[in-house]
Amino acid sequence: MAIERNYYTIDPEGKLECMKCHVPLIKGKAKFMYLDNGFPVELPVCPVCGFVYVPEELALGKVASVERALEDK
Amino acid sequence: MPEIQERGSTHVYKVNRISKEEMESMVARCVYEEPPFCNAACPLKLDTRAFLKAAAGGDFKKALQLYEKATPFPLILSMGCEAPCETACRLCERGDGIAVRAVEAAAARYGQASRLGSVFRTKKKKTVAVLGSGLFPLFLAGELEKKAYPTTVFCEQDDLEAFLHCETEFLDEEAFALELKRLKGKDIQFVFGCDPDEAFFARQREAFDVLCASETVAKKLFPSEEADPALMILASEKLVTGCGSGVMAAAFGAKKAALTVDRLAQNLDPRNMRGSEGAVESRLYTDLSEASALRRVPSEQGGYTPEQAAQEAARCIQCHCEECMKSCAYLKHYKKYPGLLSKEIYNNTQIIMGDHQLNKPMNACTLCGQCTAVCPNGFDMAHVCAVARRNMVSTDKMPLAPHEFALMDMLFSNGDAFLSRPQPGFETCRYVFFPGCQASAIAPETVKAAYLDLCSRLDGGVALMLGCCGAICDWAGRCEMQESTREFLLTELSRLGDPVIIAGCPSCRKELAESVGGEVVGIWDILERIGLPEGTKRINRPAALHDSCGARGDAHTQQAIRNLASRLGVRIVETKYSGDRSPCCGYGGLTAYANPEVAGEITRKALERTDAPYITYCMACRDRFAREGRESRHILELIYGTDAGAPPDISEKRYNRLNLKRELLREFWQEETAEMKLDYELTFTDEARSLMDSRMILTDDVIAVLNDYREHGEAVLDSETGLLIARRRLGNATFWVKFTEDQEQGYTVHGAYSHRMNVVRREG
Repeated sequence: MAIERNYYTIDPEGKLECMKCHVPLIKGKAKFMYLDNGFPVELPVCPVCGFVYVPEELALGKVASVERALEDK
Repeated sequence: MPEIQERGSTHVYKVNRISKEEMESMVARCVYEEPPFCNAACPLKLDTRAFLKAAAGGDFKKALQLYEKATPFPLILSMGCEAPCETACRLCERGDGIAVRAVEAAAARYGQASRLGSVFRTKKKKTVAVLGSGLFPLFLAGELEKKAYPTTVFCEQDDLEAFLHCETEFLDEEAFALELKRLKGKDIQFVFGCDPDEAFFARQREAFDVLCASETVAKKLFPSEEADPALMILASEKLVTGCGSGVMAAAFGAKKAALTVDRLAQNLDPRNMRGSEGAVESRLYTDLSEASALRRVPSEQGGYTPEQAAQEAARCIQCHCEECMKSCAYLKHYKKYPGLLSKEIYNNTQIIMGDHQLNKPMNACTLCGQCTAVCPNGFDMAHVCAVARRNMVSTDKMPLAPHEFALMDMLFSNGDAFLSRPQPGFETCRYVFFPGCQASAIAPETVKAAYLDLCSRLDGGVALMLGCCGAICDWAGRCEMQESTREFLLTELSRLGDPVIIAGCPSCRKELAESVGGEVVGIWDILERIGLPEGTKRINRPAALHDSCGARGDAHTQQAIRNLASRLGVRIVETKYSGDRSPCCGYGGLTAYANPEVAGEITRKALERTDAPYITYCMACRDRFAREGRESRHILELIYGTDAGAPPDISEKRYNRLNLKRELLREFWQEETAEMKLDYELTFTDEARSLMDSRMILTDDVIAVLNDYREHGEAVLDSETGLLIARRRLGNATFWVKFTEDQEQGYTVHGAYSHRMNVVRREG
């Protein structure tokens, strides 16, 4: 079985809490999708409700640059 | 809120071809790449401009290297050539042309000869013989040596000195010695004391691959044959030969002959693949207005000293046509002249797979048309970019991101903020006032005052239409949206009785005249006719008039505004870039949305014209200038004594439009509309406000996120900052809000950000 590649990994290290479920966010599997392209990543997610958190640094950094690259395809 | 569909995929493998002929005819208008006149006049194609630049900097080594590209014997050429470059020099029109020959001679004396002719260079296999003596064989041998052909000269003289003396009597002793040294340094074989006859010729024909001869020798051997002056060849004998007299004829003839040798040595037809030869016409435009040093530097006996030569070379104004780049911050930013940039933008539209690297420049042009006004040939960069944008949209390759905010703003203007009503007491009206979306967003009080004035002084009723003219989707290249906007406005105008449109903004006037047609005038036309309203205060101070790009080529509007400003008592400061040559404020073409960095440079460049305060007649210009901290007022603010104050942020611009609509409905039409009130307290830190403005996140977006949080309770608590972070997908983007929550004080927003990618949980 092929090993699935993760483009980006963030471990919340117990610093983030889901306000709805009152549990710490854990490193979980998520996927960014844009213009018919998908990127598997590991982000802080709530193990109960599945809330996926995208930190500001990631949104304005890597995510923004991939967005720009895809927009110009 | 309406949405605009994002393009579905990056995998779109189609292009919409732009006619190549159309693009090439446009590109050909740009004369940036045309040679300067000195260079065009030189049959040897000496890069005179670069040569003089090097000499002006005292770099005679580089100057000589450039000169040696044109000729193997620089001193002979400089002392004997007829110097067509000097008569072609544009400075002749104002004074003395550059003494190019004297600078050339100085470079040949003080420069260091290039090592191109080194004996260590790999030689070609084919051999060439040159028969005879004089300037043509001398130059030809030099040219062939440059091309690395093993070359042997057969001459009647007994030594090199005598060979060089032939036809070079104009050289002085020093120059002769220098050129002799240069000749000795070249890897050319000499056989002296030869008298070429038919038998000699036949022998060399066997021994060498290509034979060349001076005109005298060729005539002696083949008296009835005439050489082809273009190819320098006796066709029947395949003998390369000279023709014509004089230094330039010999030097140019040798260049053509060397190319013919090249072709013959490869067994190719010498008529083909010759490129451009000889002097050409140049279409270059040169601005002579700033040329100052108009007199030649006098020379000493025996030529210029290095200092004098550099001084004379420095008089060269380095002819370049950069009229558009001098005035346009966009072209300056991309450091590309329009001919090249257009070619690249054209190619960008034709990419089937891969990166569209020119999307950003294509979307950064303000489409203002200043380049067309300042270009001596009317190059139209706006047309190129507008066509490219429409082309990309039509093939679903245009990213939505650069223009989405502006397009959504337009839908807001023609949606929630739209208002169309006949004047109270009228069913249909003779006029409709269309102030434009930016006026309502930036200066709502001014719009109200103007409408009130028009209603009170015009007969036949004045309706009001608050909305967008469609310029936004026009600039974005979205033809379908433009068409639906046109139909929407036509329906609304028809309800008002198809009145004469009084536009408050020149761009709206232009857009509406082109789209909905009918009679469209500017409010300035009306005010010129009916006079200023009573009580208008005079402004007795100087101010610069910033002409709107919407009024480019519209002398009538430009004059009407000047007349109004004069009536106000303004002492108008005209600049080099006024009227049709006026730059864009940075708002046009949606540059401020697609590329805020370039838009900022454009605004600052526009403000460089003068230190005086600016009067504008487009509200977006007023806003851009004020945003840069410059005193700027819209002419209607001055006429109606209103002050729009500090520039509003993007959320305030929306609020202002909604509030203006609400106030007008209440005051003019006695209609109450409910103002949306939050049932909780909401405050923003200054930092959050500033971030939201630069990231184009609206207060409404933040409220939508918080409402969602209040309903579903979904948020993350960051234990390091103590902030809650909630999110919501709105249209094509996900918005995140960082906030604190307090039972009494409600919510305080500390920051906000967004991304367009959608993120989902992945199983497994």
